[in-house]
Amino acid sequence: MNHPKTRRKVDWGHLALLLLIVGVVVAYLLDARATSLKMQNLLLIQPAAIVALILAALVLPQCFRRQSEGEAEAADKDEAPRRESWVDLGKVAALAAAFGVFAISLETVGFDVATFLFTALGIYICGERKLWVIGTFSAVFTVVIVYGYQLLVPYPFPLLVL
Amino acid sequence: MLDLNAVGDALSLLTSSYIAWIYVIPGLLVGLFFGAMPGISITMAMAIFLPVTLYMDFLPAIIFLTSIYTGAGFGGSVPAVLMNIPGTSSAVATTFDGYPMARLGKHNQALGVALAASVIGCLSSYILLLFIIAPISTVVLKMGPLEMFTIAVWGMLLLGSLAGSSIWRGLLAGVFGVLLGTVGANTAGYIRGTMGIPWLFDGIPTIPAMMGLLAASQLLNLINTHYLIEDEADRKISFGRIVEGVRLALKYPTIIFRGSAIGVIIGAIPGVGSSISNLISYSETKRNAPDGDTFGQGNPKGVIAAESANSSSEGGAMATMLALGIPGGGATAILLAAFAMHNIIGGPSFIANNKDIVYAIIFSNFAQAVLLLGVGLGFVYLASAVVRVPLRFLIPSVLVVSAFGSYAIQGSLSGPITLFVFSILGWAMVRYQYPVAAVVVGLLLGTLLEENLIRTWQISRDLGYVLERPGAMLIFALMVLSMGLTAFSRWRRKQRASAMTTEEVGS
Repeated sequence: MNHPKTRRKVDWGHLALLLLIVGVVVAYLLDARATSLKMQNLLLIQPAAIVALILAALVLPQCFRRQSEGEAEAADKDEAPRRESWVDLGKVAALAAAFGVFAISLETVGFDVATFLFTALGIYICGERKLWVIGTFSAVFTVVIVYGYQLLVPYPFPLLVL
Repeated sequence: MLDLNAVGDALSLLTSSYIAWIYVIPGLLVGLFFGAMPGISITMAMAIFLPVTLYMDFLPAIIFLTSIYTGAGFGGSVPAVLMNIPGTSSAVATTFDGYPMARLGKHNQALGVALAASVIGCLSSYILLLFIIAPISTVVLKMGPLEMFTIAVWGMLLLGSLAGSSIWRGLLAGVFGVLLGTVGANTAGYIRGTMGIPWLFDGIPTIPAMMGLLAASQLLNLINTHYLIEDEADRKISFGRIVEGVRLALKYPTIIFRGSAIGVIIGAIPGVGSSISNLISYSETKRNAPDGDTFGQGNPKGVIAAESANSSSEGGAMATMLALGIPGGGATAILLAAFAMHNIIGGPSFIANNKDIVYAIIFSNFAQAVLLLGVGLGFVYLASAVVRVPLRFLIPSVLVVSAFGSYAIQGSLSGPITLFVFSILGWAMVRYQYPVAAVVVGLLLGTLLEENLIRTWQISRDLGYVLERPGAMLIFALMVLSMGLTAFSRWRRKQRASAMTTEEVGS
C-alpha cells in the first residue's frame, strides 16, 4: 500500500508562546518551592502548576501539523499572501516596542513629551504620512489628555513642558 | 422576597443627590461607542474607564460602569447588523439574521428590532434580579470556603472550556491566570514569584493587567486595518424605519421573554455569560418557530432572540457577582475591581450588609434600560459616523489613555509597565487563539481560590471533610454534570457537522 508522503509543519510562533508559558510556570513553581515547602505555601500553586504543565503537553501537538506533500504545497501557496504580512507584523512589533519605551520613559521624560512623541510615532506607524496632521493631532491630543487627567487625578503627573 | 425597608433606603439614596444620575447618559454613550467598534469589547470600554471612577463615590462609580455595560450590550449589535462583524462576543447570534436583514435593505428595522429587544431583555432581567437577590444572599451566606472554592473552580472550568477554539488552550489560559493571580504574598505570609520587584509583593497589579490583556492587545491586533468598515453604502440610517423596527419587536413578546429567561439563567453561571446565552436563545427560538427554515435569511425573530438574551445576561451576571463575589466574565470582573478600589468586598456579606446599595444598583439599571431606548435611537442614527474613525488615530490614542489610566490607579510606573507586558502577552494569546478572558478571570480568582483552599485546609486538614459538606458535594456534582453535558453537546455538534458534510458530498 502506498502512503502519501507527509511532512511536519511547525507553528513556531505558537511554540514560542507555549514555551514562554511553560517557562513562567516552571520558574514560578521552583521559586515557590524555594520559598517554603510548607503546605500553606504550595497548596494551590503546586497542583495548579502541574495541571498547567499537563495542559501544555496536551496543547503541544497543536504546534506541529502533519501534512501530505500536496496539502503542504497548497498551504505554501496559501501562505504567499501571509508572507507579505511580515511587514504588517513588523508594524505590530514597532508599535509594541514604541509602547514599551513610552511606558518606561513616562516619568523620565515627562508625560507630556512622552505622550506627544508616542502619539506621533504611533500614528506614523499606523499609516498616516502627512506630517502636519501628525504634528497637529499629537499636540492637541497631548494637551487634552494631560489636562484632562490632571483634572481627574489629584496627584501630579511628572511633566517637562506643559 | 423584597426587603421593603432596603427598597425605601435605596430610593432615598438615588433621589437624595443628582450626582449618581449625571453619569448614566455619558456611561451609556461610552458603552454604545465602544460596543459598536469591532474588536473593542464591553470589557475594554469598562477597563479604560475604570480609573476614572477611582475618585467618584462608590454608587456613582458603579452606576457609571453599569451604564457602560448596558450601552455596550446593545452597541455590539450595530456593527453585527451593518457589517456582519459582532462588535462584542455576545452579538455573534445577532449577525445570523441581522446582517441578512441589512443585505435585504432592512438594516434600519434590524437595528430598531435589536434595540427594543435589548431594552426589554435588560429590564426583565433586573426585575427578576430584584426579587431573587435576597433569597440568593441567604443561600450563599451558608456557603463555606470549600463551597466558594468549588464554585470558583467551576467558573474557571466553564470559561476555559467554552471560550476558546481548543478546550486545552482554554483551560491552560485559565490555570495560567490563576497562577499569575497568586504571585506575591499569600494569606499565610509566603512571598513567591516577585523576582525581587517590590511592587509585586502585593501581587500583579490586576487592573493594568486586565487593561493590557483585554484592550491594548486587541488594539495591536487592529494595527493592519485601515478602517473598521470599508464600504460606506450600507451605513445610512433612517429614523422612521428604526422606530418601525422597535414596533416590530413588540409583536413577539414570547421570543423576548424566552430570550430573557435564558439570558438570566446562563448569565448567572460564572464563566458562561452573554457570549453563550445569545447562541442558546437563537437556537431555541429557531427550533420552536414555525418558520425556523427562514432563520439565517433575514428573519427578525432571530435578531430578537439573540439581543434579548445577551442583554438579560447582564442581570444574571450581576446576580452572581453581587451574591457570590465571583465575576462571570470580563465585565463583572471589572465591576468587582471597582468594588475593591472603593474598599468594598463583593460577596455574601456585601448583600447582607448593603441591601440598600444593591437595590439602588438594580433601580438605576431600570432607568438605564429606559434611557437606552432614547439614547440608542439617537446613537444608531449617528452610528455611521462613529465607525468611520480612522484606526491610525484611534489606536495610539487609546493606548495613551490606557497608560494614563494605569498610572492613575497605581500611582507609579508599575501600572504602565504591567499594561505593556500584558498587552504583549494578550496579543500573542489572541493570535494563537487562547481565550484572554480566561486569563483575566484566573488572575482575579487566583487569590480567592488560594485563600479559600488554605482556609478549608486549616479547618479540616483531611479530605474526608468534603463528605461533611453536602453543599460542596452538590456543587461538585453539578460541575461534573455540566462539564459532561458540555463535552457531550460538543461531540453531538461535531457528529451533526460531519453528517451534514457527508450529505452534501453525497448530493
